[in-house]
Amino acid sequence: MTDEKKTGTGTNGSKMIEVRNVTKSFVRGKETLEVLKGLDLDVPEGSFDALMGPSGSGKSTLLNLIAGLDQPSSGKVVVGGSEPASMSDSARAQWRARNVGFVFQTFNMMPVLTALENVELPLLLTKLPSKERKQRAQIALRVVGLEDRMHHYPNQLSGGQEQRVAIARAIVSDPKIIVADEPTGDLDRKSADEILDLLQRLNREQNKTIIMVTHDPSAAERATVIHRLDKGALAQN
Amino acid sequence: MQLSSLATRNVLRNRFRTIATALGVAVAILAFVLLRTVVSAWTEGAEYAAKDRLGTRHKVSFILSLPLRYVAEVEQIPGVKRSMGASWFGAKHPTREQEFFATIAVQSKAFFEVYDEIQVPEAQRAAWMENRKGAIVGRVLAKKFGWNVGDRVKLRGTIYPGDWDFEISGIYDSQRRSVDLASFFFHYDYLNDSVPARRKDQIGWIASRIDSSDKAAQISKQIDEKFDERDIQTLSMSEKALNNSFMGMFAAVLGAMDLVSIVILLIMMLILGNTVAMGVRERTHEYGVLRAIGFLPRHLASFVLGEAAAIGALGGGLGLLLSYPVVEKGLGRFLEENMSGFFPVFRIDTSTTIQAFVFATLLGLIAAAIPAYRTSKLNVIDALRRVG
Repeated sequence: MTDEKKTGTGTNGSKMIEVRNVTKSFVRGKETLEVLKGLDLDVPEGSFDALMGPSGSGKSTLLNLIAGLDQPSSGKVVVGGSEPASMSDSARAQWRARNVGFVFQTFNMMPVLTALENVELPLLLTKLPSKERKQRAQIALRVVGLEDRMHHYPNQLSGGQEQRVAIARAIVSDPKIIVADEPTGDLDRKSADEILDLLQRLNREQNKTIIMVTHDPSAAERATVIHRLDKGALAQN
Repeated sequence: MQLSSLATRNVLRNRFRTIATALGVAVAILAFVLLRTVVSAWTEGAEYAAKDRLGTRHKVSFILSLPLRYVAEVEQIPGVKRSMGASWFGAKHPTREQEFFATIAVQSKAFFEVYDEIQVPEAQRAAWMENRKGAIVGRVLAKKFGWNVGDRVKLRGTIYPGDWDFEISGIYDSQRRSVDLASFFFHYDYLNDSVPARRKDQIGWIASRIDSSDKAAQISKQIDEKFDERDIQTLSMSEKALNNSFMGMFAAVLGAMDLVSIVILLIMMLILGNTVAMGVRERTHEYGVLRAIGFLPRHLASFVLGEAAAIGALGGGLGLLLSYPVVEKGLGRFLEENMSGFFPVFRIDTSTTIQAFVFATLLGLIAAAIPAYRTSKLNVIDALRRVG
């Protein structure tokens, strides 16, 4: 068995992510490093999946392929019915803007922008009028409980608050999936729990499909499915 | 918020670096404006020349003399209203030898007819005519040396050696900008009577007033044709052309100034390029994040270019703000008062202002071209530095 499935996933059964026989190799000097080795993975819509594994196991590489940041060396990655690897660089960027919300370990806020402006950032790529962009950003901040901090700059926020702003930025354009790379890695336990609560809420209440890379077993416990990777393949129990 | 906000906010992100760079650009723009103004003011000086006045000199060179008798012959040519012989005297103040001023021996009877823009009170003019050793000096020169009407002054000759005594008969002024208010005019007769026989009856040039500026070329030709068969031939031209030919001697200096202007702009571009490159290097991770969330390579390139253009424009604007008081109020006023013969109008041209601002912005864009290109080619994964 490759995955640990738990009850009460809240999925509707249709596949959101389909990974088929995917390999990914990197060339480092004269050496070719095979990071993913013929990997298969299905993630249903509305699922909250965690990717775990030791460093170098390929979990972030897999996340990057799902998020359309990278292309597989062979095999196929289909997300929401689209195959990002088959798109041009520009089309893939536009696809990401519409379909994928990113949450990073180090929050990655623009320090020169306020919380509200940081959340509004992805909407600048849309044709929405300024007023509507602002309204949507305010709603996203309300969802993460930071409406009262909207005019604060990142350096005026705690780590947990910054990550919540990052989540607001990830959901503001209403993407189908949220990819989170070690979202609690830089947080204390209490803040980490708040972030995980929030992700769970987004999964349950807004039916967001979430893929989360984590080293933290207690974070992974919040997911509905845990995939364990080892040496570029899903681990066999 | 607009996309441009991100570029402009980034400008002030590292305030010290931005201010230092903008000041560097500002100083470069100040130097550029100063040099361009020197070149344009110098060239423009020729434009202020009287159009109905001709200059006649030795055909070979400025420094060779003409016979005094030529003055009367020039005056006979149809269209010439009045002619006057003049010689460069080249004297210095005995105790302030570093102070340059023009000392010119003129045929005083014709002087005010040929140079009617020079204004001297009637009584002073009459006194000058009566006094063989009399001289009239410009307002600026009189102020500089503290000379007053009636003062006896001694000048040290260089071309005509020895100490020469004069009496200040009048102080002249003028409304026309082309008039050098720091010159010293005295009677040619005084000079001619005092020099050895071999130097007598020689003049440096002839200035003639003509009845119509339209005939300047035609009359110049007639003058030169008159002396074509003589031992000493002449070269006549309008005062403007004469000034231009004089300016021609400084062509190399003006060319060098143009070159220095370009070098200054290139240095400015390198300063800007360095600042932009540093900023881009520091923000690689952020650019990776922007690319991840859907921004396109052209967006990133425009952020970098926008930031560079903003710093360039900021420095350019600051440079121009500095330029006006420094160039116009400071140096310009000094030059207009003390060297009005060369710089009758030392003012910053509108075209120089526009050039400076456009160059500052444009060179900012050029300086950012390579960092912008590199940013647009950034690999998202590398930029995010995520390894599985």
